[in-house]
Amino acid sequence: MSEEQVVKYTGEPAKVKEVNGAWVIDFPRAFTHHHTYGKLTPYFKGLTEGKLMATKCTNPKCNISKGNGEMWLPPRADCPDCYAAMEWIELKQPIVGTIYSYTEVKRGGTGVEIEVPYYQIDIKFENCCTIPKGYLCDSRDEPKIGAKVTPVFRTENPSHTSLDISWKSL
Amino acid sequence: MIKFGPGNLRVPKWTRPVYMVSAGMTDFRKKYPEKKLEELVLEAVKMCVEDPKLKKSAQEVRDMINFACYGEFADHFQDQLLCEAKVHDYLGLDPLFNVGIKTGGATGGSAILMGSSIVASGQANCCLVAGWERMDEVDTWTGNFYISTAACKDFETRLARIYASYYAPMARRFQQVYNLDEKVRAAVAVKNRGYACSSPFAQQPGKHTIEEVLEGPVVCDPLRMLECCAMSVGSAAVILCDEETAFKLSDNPVKVYIAGGSHTLRVSDRRDMEIPLLPNEDEHTYEKLYKDIKSSDGRWPGFESFLAARFAAYLTYQMAGIENPIEELDLVELHDAFTISDIQTYGDIGLTRYGEEPSYITSGDAYYGGKCPANLSGGLIGTMHAVGATGIFSAIEVMWQLQNRYDEFHGADEMWKKFGKTKPTDWKSLQVENAKKGLWVSHAGVGSHVTVGVLEKGW
Repeated sequence: MSEEQVVKYTGEPAKVKEVNGAWVIDFPRAFTHHHTYGKLTPYFKGLTEGKLMATKCTNPKCNISKGNGEMWLPPRADCPDCYAAMEWIELKQPIVGTIYSYTEVKRGGTGVEIEVPYYQIDIKFENCCTIPKGYLCDSRDEPKIGAKVTPVFRTENPSHTSLDISWKSL
Repeated sequence: MIKFGPGNLRVPKWTRPVYMVSAGMTDFRKKYPEKKLEELVLEAVKMCVEDPKLKKSAQEVRDMINFACYGEFADHFQDQLLCEAKVHDYLGLDPLFNVGIKTGGATGGSAILMGSSIVASGQANCCLVAGWERMDEVDTWTGNFYISTAACKDFETRLARIYASYYAPMARRFQQVYNLDEKVRAAVAVKNRGYACSSPFAQQPGKHTIEEVLEGPVVCDPLRMLECCAMSVGSAAVILCDEETAFKLSDNPVKVYIAGGSHTLRVSDRRDMEIPLLPNEDEHTYEKLYKDIKSSDGRWPGFESFLAARFAAYLTYQMAGIENPIEELDLVELHDAFTISDIQTYGDIGLTRYGEEPSYITSGDAYYGGKCPANLSGGLIGTMHAVGATGIFSAIEVMWQLQNRYDEFHGADEMWKKFGKTKPTDWKSLQVENAKKGLWVSHAGVGSHVTVGVLEKGW
């Protein structure tokens, strides 16, 4: 370093590789985002307590729900049809869903938190206008369209994410 | 929205016609360390303004530009916010106004839609539209994770972190409900990778067989590796003009019609609804389909179809006066991110009726020499998916076909040499004879945004 360089360089020198005459440097990234679940917090909290929470529109003036809407899962705090606040309901146990479609995930993207291969499923419920995604808790349990499934909650050591609910065949 | 109000269904009405006059693009590669992003975009724009068929010099063309629309999918990939400003400056276009457009995989189509609206309104009369993506700063699996952050991060991204896992259940469902043979999916991969062999721009050309596709590694069952699109680096650009400017620049500009549609980011949230009908369908067309859907505990569009694509086609066909797409279109460029999404789209845009999508392939209509060939460019599976450039690349390939210039850009030895490649000895021309009208689709993940554009000979 020359004596004129009074202001210190405090970084980590970038690794450099020459490819076909061009310098390619490494630029590592690792940050934490502080992400809010906002008004959907009851859903994620519910999973850690063994509860599956959904929302429904009860606004009699709503064009679609007419005051008695179908369930939303994933839940939404606000009705997309009338913008009224939706009501929380807990699904009654035993909860039973039907496999609408599925895939066997052989390989996931970087950072995937579920051990592969595993089965990812889409689940249909009675009186629910949506078909949420989930995964089977046992990778030996081969799914079939139309088969019945019931939830398994990660109440111990929860991840505090959507992965705190998985499903098993009935 | 599952019920439409009258205003929701308004067909776009431009105040003046819009033309596409010239185009340029780079080749597409998995990795492109030799050039920086702005250098690649400049290369595409340079080809656009230096088109030897234009009646003005490159400098004169640059002097005519008065607006720029830029398409880039993800800041994650470029690792540079406001890349548009950096590119615009590099292109020497300051102080003209420019806007960045982002609608996922449909970004390229949306950039052309916005550029067209800018010209149609009179805001500009010569608008540059350029798109790009640099997906090689991270490895393939981190790239897949980045793309999966375009799914809902609260409820979907953590599942698999790869888009193939969101299309695979669609493939499974489509297979079961519409009786799709896996070989038809594989045929789409074979077709598009095969057509890519004629393109010097292509990243993944290859002569494959149906057996090879189906015996290949599975990413997310039932989708095999060869059924998935490329992850690319590259850029594409076009110039859009009003009629007067278009004919000052070119003797063979193509007329543009384009509209878009959207649907829930999460496939899970697609509620049951009625099918919006195209001009060649009526209330009886789908009586049987509705019964079949009901008997399989299904819904429309469910996992089988894309409302956004249907809605965009509904609008664009009315703008372009198209009544029977398969009869009136001479070729199409579809957004084959995965074989299944390509097939799903056939029904959405009326190349077949819903429920009969595989027949577009099995009838031979989709092949070169067929009634309405698809993805002669090689598409996203064979040639490229540098996301922000993709919808522009597809439009360019349609325009060159209509201008009867396929051979000039794909068959000339210099084009192959320019990208350090050798023209194959068995190179085959895929020029569609006397093509007058073509369509292209630009589609964002699981159909959240879709544009449908129609180009027609303007001279």
